[in-house]
Amino acid sequence: MHLSRYQTERIAFMVIGSATLLTVAPIIIVISAIFISGAEAISWEFIVEMPRDGMRAGGIWPAIVGTTYLAIGTGLISVPLGLGAAIYLSEYARESAWTRTIRVAIVNLAGIPSVVYGLFGLGLFVLFLKLGSSIIAACLTLSIMTLPVIISTAEEALRAVPQSFRVVSIGMGGTRWQTIRRIVLPQAMPGILTGVILGLNRAAGETAPILFTGAAFFLPRLPSSIFDQTMALPYHLFVISTQVPGMPLQIQYGTASVLLVFVLTMNILAASVRSWQRRKRQW
Amino acid sequence: MVNIAKTETKISIDHLYVRYEDDGTESLRDIHFDIPIHAITALFGPAGGGKSTLLRTLNRLNDMVDVSTRGSVLLDGVDIFSSNIDVVTLRRRVGIVFAQPIPLPFSISRNIRYGLELAGENRRSRLDDAVERSLRAAALWDEVKDRLGDPAIALSGGQQQRLCIARVLALEPEVLMLDEPTSGLDPISTAKVEASLQLLKQDYTVIIAPSSIQQTARIADWAAFMLQGELVEWNRGEDLFSAPRNKKTEDYITGRFG
Repeated sequence: MHLSRYQTERIAFMVIGSATLLTVAPIIIVISAIFISGAEAISWEFIVEMPRDGMRAGGIWPAIVGTTYLAIGTGLISVPLGLGAAIYLSEYARESAWTRTIRVAIVNLAGIPSVVYGLFGLGLFVLFLKLGSSIIAACLTLSIMTLPVIISTAEEALRAVPQSFRVVSIGMGGTRWQTIRRIVLPQAMPGILTGVILGLNRAAGETAPILFTGAAFFLPRLPSSIFDQTMALPYHLFVISTQVPGMPLQIQYGTASVLLVFVLTMNILAASVRSWQRRKRQW
Repeated sequence: MVNIAKTETKISIDHLYVRYEDDGTESLRDIHFDIPIHAITALFGPAGGGKSTLLRTLNRLNDMVDVSTRGSVLLDGVDIFSSNIDVVTLRRRVGIVFAQPIPLPFSISRNIRYGLELAGENRRSRLDDAVERSLRAAALWDEVKDRLGDPAIALSGGQQQRLCIARVLALEPEVLMLDEPTSGLDPISTAKVEASLQLLKQDYTVIIAPSSIQQTARIADWAAFMLQGELVEWNRGEDLFSAPRNKKTEDYITGRFG
């Protein structure tokens, strides 16, 4: 059979279009199903109250607070470390076997399943360093998981700053650090922020890394120090979905909705940072 | 070679070899000449002759890439490669303007202030003075005085190149190096840049890699003909163009190759 180029064009368009639709449709269906089923559970009280009656009633406040703590703590640890490593790789290190090894390690680190990070954190932070199951141990574990994302996106953002800016700045009597501080970092900042938000987003949504390192099944009060355990949204969701008999369905969906909003908000934030960066770029 | 004992020497280059280590090419071989103070010295010759490399060597900008250097470059009698020279200070004393105008991603006035801020100057009045003074010296002030806060990238190509010159002048260097500063410019902008160079040489030592032989002939007090990493001939501009002593120089300036 011979098809005209108009017919092949039509077929190609249909195939590509339906592939796109098949990718997008499940996301929309899943998200709307969760939001619709969770809507009746959502209320001001559900957000800000402690759980009651074996978590079958009341709110999820400690889980929201806990996830916020974990995200902030992970950020405080992983952003300075990741940014430092990225600046070293992009601005200071010369291309060598050493830097290639570091890059291979980073790429491989990004591919490790999250439960492995959890076990590593259990071994190193909880047991060996005797931090116990605590917010600090969980944040350290999540940081190791987040670092590859932050390092590679930040390095990419730094490298995207034209080399000519560096040459001009050095040529005008700038030191390398002055050049980084005044030109390279400000120019790369939106790209770096995007990577940071995406990395922390993953940290906020993961269960396995905090399972053995800091997440609590149930706590009647909020954590009072970084050496306390904490509840967290993803783990709480896992618990009420599988571990508590007689759990009202709308509370499960309500919790999932809150977690989704948490993560989606961060994603939207990352996307708007990126588009804001494109608009204000001056080169 | 020519004796310039009557004029004072600013930079003295002696048996300079520069080799790029990453690909092993020798970019400069046995360069040996003097650059007089308060004059325009033009480095000219076909592409690949080592003009840019020589300029980038004179303020050690080549330190940023993998090069090895032999020989000496004396600035006011002090070797710029000696270990006790402060390379940051050297680059303030020997400023460079590149072929492509590269405005930094700031406003017009911040582009000028930038170099001074690096050196720790933060007095507003000093900075504002420097902006006006150097923009005037680069013949750009009248065109931009009402929009100093605009992004520098919004300027035309010719204006950007004069901004880059002004930016270096703000540092009050002793030596001003320009690597084909008019290569992308229209004849009117080129004339403006050349006119300002004639004024600048009274206060500075100017080294330029001109964009063309004609430009070399127009502006060079001293001219150095460079071919494939070697200095072929060096003389007063008028003498070199009226009576070249080397056959290769003659062939090049009469258009037989290049």
